[in-house]
Amino acid sequence: MIEIQEVHKSFGSLKVLKGIDLTVEKGEVVCLIGASGSGKSTLLLCINALESINSGKIIVDGIDVHAPQTNQDQLRRKLGIIFQQFNAFPHLTAQQNVALAPRKVLKTPTKYAQALAQEHLAKVGLGDKLDRYPAQLSGGQQQRLAIARALAMEPDYLLLDEVTSALDPELVGEVLDTLRMLAEDGMTMIAVTHEIPFAREVADRVAFFHQGVIHEIGPAKELINNPQQQRTKEFLGNIL
Amino acid sequence: MTYTFTTNDFLLMVQGAGITFLLTIIAGVIGTFMGFLVGWARTTKNAVFYYSLGAYVDIIRSIPLIIQFVLFNSFMAIAGYPMDPFISGIITLSIYISGYVAEVVKAGIESVPDVTRKAARGLGMTYYQDFFYVVVPIGMRTVFPSWTGLMLGLMKDTSLIAVLGATPPELLRSSQIIINRIQEPLMILLGAGAFYFIMCYVITHFAGRYEKIWQQKRQAAL
Repeated sequence: MIEIQEVHKSFGSLKVLKGIDLTVEKGEVVCLIGASGSGKSTLLLCINALESINSGKIIVDGIDVHAPQTNQDQLRRKLGIIFQQFNAFPHLTAQQNVALAPRKVLKTPTKYAQALAQEHLAKVGLGDKLDRYPAQLSGGQQQRLAIARALAMEPDYLLLDEVTSALDPELVGEVLDTLRMLAEDGMTMIAVTHEIPFAREVADRVAFFHQGVIHEIGPAKELINNPQQQRTKEFLGNIL
Repeated sequence: MTYTFTTNDFLLMVQGAGITFLLTIIAGVIGTFMGFLVGWARTTKNAVFYYSLGAYVDIIRSIPLIIQFVLFNSFMAIAGYPMDPFISGIITLSIYISGYVAEVVKAGIESVPDVTRKAARGLGMTYYQDFFYVVVPIGMRTVFPSWTGLMLGLMKDTSLIAVLGATPPELLRSSQIIINRIQEPLMILLGAGAFYFIMCYVITHFAGRYEKIWQQKRQAAL
């Protein structure tokens, strides 16, 4: 369970998060929607401590993420994160990309790590691309590689930061299909997304961010089909 | 009596070339190691490292090497630790090249996109795991050609060690010794140039091979 309590975060004088409260249960899929700069992506980075917070608390499975005594490196193994920008390690093949963290972080013997990589790459439909370098993969394939890489650490949660935003429209589908499959498998996910139809279909709940606060939150279909707040209506009206 | 170019002269030049190569290798290895640490330290968010080592780099890169040779050698003598000119020369060369390597290393580290490092950390890698398994291999490929250039420059800069009268003489000094005796500067300098060229070519060749391997890996037939 991820509990986010009264989280505030500023970059210098710019207040990005102004008191976020959100609890995500195991197995739940929560989509965060809202305009650029509303703080959604920053929240994801705060959840796995890639960004610090100014006040409040984020608790993952009972562990206070930002407490000084918390081993954040260890905590991040639980929390896979995938970004908008492609960030496969360019000097490694697809298989090596996926095997690297299990080998170095979990000290999995190389042989097993490679088998693990093979398994996860097959799962995202890249079973035939093991020896390709990222430069030889399409954007959609690189994003699926990033998903496989995160899954190989067997995380309990996935944090997805606009993973389809940098993709050509015809490649969005393959990545969303992969995410759909993960949701069906019961993976807990917090996804920042602009794919409203996807959120409506896959998410249990949707939170609408506006200027650093959660302006409206509710069951996905309800919130998207029938938003209550004026801002939410405007946002959805513009984007759909 | 005429003075001619003898076998011994040729051997002196070969020895000089060997000394030049040795100086380059030793100063190159020490300087690269030092420069790596300095460049790395400057990319950490520590302001003390950033500014103090920035001053180190600026000073080293702003003062002619020949002055550094003399200053360091004299300083050690005045301080009561007179050194063999050859050793003091190697130390000066190492420090000198480390200033340049530091900037190349810093550029290499900074060439790795922030999001790539975040992705590595997001997988649970520690700072050092991210640094050594992700940042260094990626950054190294980016700045390897610049580093090769520095090493070629270093090889030619070793000739300035002559100002200390270091023995055994390196290539240029050996050549001058022969020139003084047989008064055939053009031929001898041409020969010395050929030696420099061959040694530089060896470095360039091997560097080029490495780069090619990396490129082929990335662009293997689809």
